[in-house]
Amino acid sequence: MILFLVAILILLAFLGAPLFSVILAAAITGFYLSDIHLSVIAIELFRIADTPILLALPLFTFAGYILGESNTSGRLVRLTQALFGWMPGGLAIVAFIVCALFTAFTGASGVTIVAMGALLYPALKQAGYKDAFSLGLVTTSGSLGLLLPPSLPLILYGVIAQQMNAGDQVSIEKLFIAGILPAILMIILLSLYSIWANRKEPVPLTAFSYKKARKAIREAIWEIPLPIFVFTGIYSGFFAVSEAAAVTAMYVLIVEVFIYKEIKLSQLAAIIKESMVMVGGILLILGVSLAFTNYLIDAEAPMKLFAICQRFITSKLVFLILLNIFLLILGAILDIFSAIVIMVPLMLPVAISYGVDPVHLGIIFLANMQIGYFTPPVGMNLFIAGYRFNKPILEIYKATIPFMLVLLIAVLIITYWPWLSLVFIS
Amino acid sequence: MTHKKNNRGFDIIRILEKVEDGLLVSLLLMMIFMAVLQIVLRNLFDSGILWADPLIRILVLWIGLIGAMIASRNNHHISIDVISRYLPKQAKKVSTLILSIFTATICGTMAYYSLVFVQMEQQDGQIAFGVIPAWVCESIIPIAFAIISLRYIILSYTCAKNIFTRTNQ
Repeated sequence: MILFLVAILILLAFLGAPLFSVILAAAITGFYLSDIHLSVIAIELFRIADTPILLALPLFTFAGYILGESNTSGRLVRLTQALFGWMPGGLAIVAFIVCALFTAFTGASGVTIVAMGALLYPALKQAGYKDAFSLGLVTTSGSLGLLLPPSLPLILYGVIAQQMNAGDQVSIEKLFIAGILPAILMIILLSLYSIWANRKEPVPLTAFSYKKARKAIREAIWEIPLPIFVFTGIYSGFFAVSEAAAVTAMYVLIVEVFIYKEIKLSQLAAIIKESMVMVGGILLILGVSLAFTNYLIDAEAPMKLFAICQRFITSKLVFLILLNIFLLILGAILDIFSAIVIMVPLMLPVAISYGVDPVHLGIIFLANMQIGYFTPPVGMNLFIAGYRFNKPILEIYKATIPFMLVLLIAVLIITYWPWLSLVFIS
Repeated sequence: MTHKKNNRGFDIIRILEKVEDGLLVSLLLMMIFMAVLQIVLRNLFDSGILWADPLIRILVLWIGLIGAMIASRNNHHISIDVISRYLPKQAKKVSTLILSIFTATICGTMAYYSLVFVQMEQQDGQIAFGVIPAWVCESIIPIAFAIISLRYIILSYTCAKNIFTRTNQ
């Protein structure tokens, strides 16, 4: 009977039912069968208002949407190109850095491909990079930066881990620190690949020009402080994450609307609506999952899952290998927020039992998800890129696969070398 | 006669949408303002508004749920679209119909039970912050699920009509 219901719910989910309704249905069924009054779900949902850190979610999302709608992308590209364009591998490396920063602030919702890709793709081709290479680079970079602050998925992972009582060792600040080296590793490997891939027809370098650099700096003078005070504010502990989010939202609002005047007040309402619809979707899934998770813990599901796992998986190494495979598939079919909210409560206790550090698990989780964004055949960014650059999807697949392999190597290093994530915390 | 009635129905929907939009925008701006004000007060004047923090946290819930209400206007919720992308047209219509009936039912159930929860809280008479009782803050939960349910009922109706008229032709 229960198995039958589970099968139906999974079928509905795959047919495209709103995920929140599937989780809600599961929670309702679970509580109903264990004779618990269903109003408990509303109590669990209200816990959203009991979690101060969640404030960061709407605020950073809003700031990200504002940045995505204004011409920040153009200024950021010109600035980075003026500063780093003279290095070997110049523009390609610039593209990785710029996309990583932009994605960290805007969330990997496809905005990076739409806003940054529109600038970088023609620029790369003009600089002499091959079409397929440029296309693959831009598609891949759309989710680069998920591990850098103030990335929303990282915050969401921290929220869930704290709800799971995995101890306060999983603070958002620690996750932000843990993500830095893995993110840098990804950028370095991708940059090395870019240099290697273009070794036969090297792209001519542009000389460093003080004039251009000065102009680009002056142009972006109001936006340069943004990552600086977010990073230093959070890392020094001067700001709590939600405070940094509030300051960022206010700052971005003032700068883009009143100083650069690139967003009209009349547009503001539409941007707020669009961004908060996304936040609403995430929070609703989070809320009903809190209820469902509570049911699962009541039913001792994670412990049972661990018992089953232990019968087949005896070592931490095998567990990590299977985890990688599972997460890669998951990342391709499920969006990152739902994946975190649904899977982390089940996975975290099991992973801890195998001796995986919960902070490290978060980094592994997101690094895998990041690849899922452009894993054929259904990775979301593949479709966004195909649509944005008007290319057949098969061409996007082909162009992206080499980059995907490079990032797979990065993910393996991140997974099997915990030091990289954990060196600065403890 | 029916035409007029329909128009009035649309008017109500349009008014509801205006209210949602207006609330969402003003609540978010208020949240940003309050959060920054708290930081300024705390760091520069070593003080703060006592009820600001609980208010901000409740605003997160309200903004989230209103956002979710707006998302259901055109079935814009997060979902897996692995299969639906490849379904033939007619099958897709049928599956949309089934899924919207399912969602409407689930949300309706949730609306009812969260209403029960809010009523219990009302009898409890707890205060959330300032003079605002907790049940007022929680009332958005049944409202949101009722409206989401309503939107999916409307969606199922249009779907059913669509399928029916197609097979008639």
